[in-house]
Amino acid sequence: MKLLRCFPYVSKQVVRHRVRSLLTVVGIAIAMFLFTAVQAMNRGVTEATSAKANDTTLVVYRADRYCPATSRLPQDYQSRIERVEGVTAAIPIKVVVSNCRASLDVVTFRGVPKDDFIDERRGELDVVAGSLDDWKRRTDAALVGETLANRRGLKPGQSFTAAGITAYVAAVLRSDDAQDQNVAYTSLEFVQLAGRDDLGVVTQFNVKVADAALLEPVAKQIDAIFDAAQEPTATFTEQAFIGRVADDIVELVGFARWLGLGCLAAVLALVANSIVLGVQSRVSEHAVLQTLGYPGPLIAALIVAEGVALALTGGLLGAAAAIAVGRYGSFAFSVEGTSIPIVADPALLLTGLLVCGVIGVLAGLVPALQASRREIAECFRAA
Amino acid sequence: MTFIQCRGLTREYRKGDNLIKPLDGLDLDVPRGDLLALMGPSGSGKTTLLNLIAGIDSPTAGTLTIDGVDIGELSRRKLAAWRSAHVGYVFQLYNLVPVLTAYENVELPLLLHKLPRRQRHARVAQALERVGIADRADHFPRQLSGGQEQRVAIARAIVTDPDIIVADEPTGDLDKASAHAVMLLLQSLNSELGKTIIMVTHDPHTTDYAKRTLHLDKGRLAEAGTLQTETDHDRPTEQAQTSPRAARPLEGARP
Repeated sequence: MKLLRCFPYVSKQVVRHRVRSLLTVVGIAIAMFLFTAVQAMNRGVTEATSAKANDTTLVVYRADRYCPATSRLPQDYQSRIERVEGVTAAIPIKVVVSNCRASLDVVTFRGVPKDDFIDERRGELDVVAGSLDDWKRRTDAALVGETLANRRGLKPGQSFTAAGITAYVAAVLRSDDAQDQNVAYTSLEFVQLAGRDDLGVVTQFNVKVADAALLEPVAKQIDAIFDAAQEPTATFTEQAFIGRVADDIVELVGFARWLGLGCLAAVLALVANSIVLGVQSRVSEHAVLQTLGYPGPLIAALIVAEGVALALTGGLLGAAAAIAVGRYGSFAFSVEGTSIPIVADPALLLTGLLVCGVIGVLAGLVPALQASRREIAECFRAA
Repeated sequence: MTFIQCRGLTREYRKGDNLIKPLDGLDLDVPRGDLLALMGPSGSGKTTLLNLIAGIDSPTAGTLTIDGVDIGELSRRKLAAWRSAHVGYVFQLYNLVPVLTAYENVELPLLLHKLPRRQRHARVAQALERVGIADRADHFPRQLSGGQEQRVAIARAIVTDPDIIVADEPTGDLDKASAHAVMLLLQSLNSELGKTIIMVTHDPHTTDYAKRTLHLDKGRLAEAGTLQTETDHDRPTEQAQTSPRAARPLEGARP
């Protein structure tokens, strides 16, 4: 209760030591911006590469190939795959990308048989703008993922060109699947015709199996069927496939975690520095508070509260800015036709604030305890 | 009736290899409602005695009883609570919190007390009014003169309505006019509100406002015969001889 009554004292210390507080808060905000950005990347990697219990999709790719340009599978593999026990559907997909290398702004076209695609994905895709009928009717129509549409500013009725393909935006879709969010679905023939001799050739098959437990045996069976074929296959779960293709990005994001920890260390150092300097310059002031009857633990709590207030203010600004930039920019790492989104989830704000709160306490603890244990008369003698 | 009682009060501390003994077995009685000035050369133990009475320092030996409470026996936590309820401290250099306004500085001690906001506001306003600085309530210490700062410090010292006000050279940093005003204020707190006031001073003129003046030397009350010699370098001899208060410095001391 006393701490609550005295909180205005803490807020005034923060607000009225303007320069000190501003510099500290800006430093914390920058570090927390980076930390939150790293967390958002990390979350994207986790979401894209972690298997979920209800995942039943396999990706059949050309063995020993990693790039959509070199994975060329005969489209007629479809019927043989669909005959494998446990397979409910196999959708041939032709992938064309505007940039094969890792980039934050890649346009990925996925040519699919429209009717099969809609049947297969019924209930998973939410059309947020435009018309699905329009997409089915026009041969050059694209069903654009929301992330890609936001990033490129695409709206239904517009046309856009990428990777040598000019497509008409028929609708914008929203999906829980990061891969859907960052691609443009078009008709399979349309994409095949865009290439010189690509009719009858696809990049991959997305295979649905009846049960998650069947993923591994079905994958083995598919690869066994085409083992001796001219174009052998390598079959993975969708997440394993992404993890394999986007290995570089996963590794980079893994390394970025260390940067995130470095950011936290920077926040700790900034808050601790601010509090230590504040406490050192206020030895007399704390002695006065003690003289007025403020008990040592309350003075310690006031100092810690100041650290927490600084850390939370900077953390709030930095994390909110990172989330705003992430959401506004709709960024996603794309490599070899797969997407790893930067998931700027508002929940990260809570994580950031929690982390900052803990850091504020840690940073203020030692100077607070020292200040609370000082002998009053000694402080006045030293001042 | 004795309000403050010191018996064999001793305070010693180490400074490097040296043992410093600013108070050495001091005996003293102070009645309630006294306005006592403590004088003496530097290092005589005045401020140490003041700090012990204010409960911000603890005796090494001896007892210090205030209104029946042996404050040397109180734990840190209890001593803090006791200070909050019973003592107001006025510093030579005011020691106001620079980032707080005059109002907020005076409010500080009240934040420890469970008071409704309105009552707290009323008491702060009353204290500021009492010291004649109500019109400067929103000013920060840097916007006030030394005299005004000391008035704010006095308001802070009286806002909790303590029994004792201790003042460490309250006029030491003030010009003559401001010093006079501050001393009149302390005198009025003593005569009108019955506060027991103990102040340390180097200024012989300040003792004119006190009911009694005691001289300390080497951690003890100075003997009457040694008074003039011991304080020669601190105050004019004429003053020591002519001040009626200086003529009875040991009145409150135990034989």
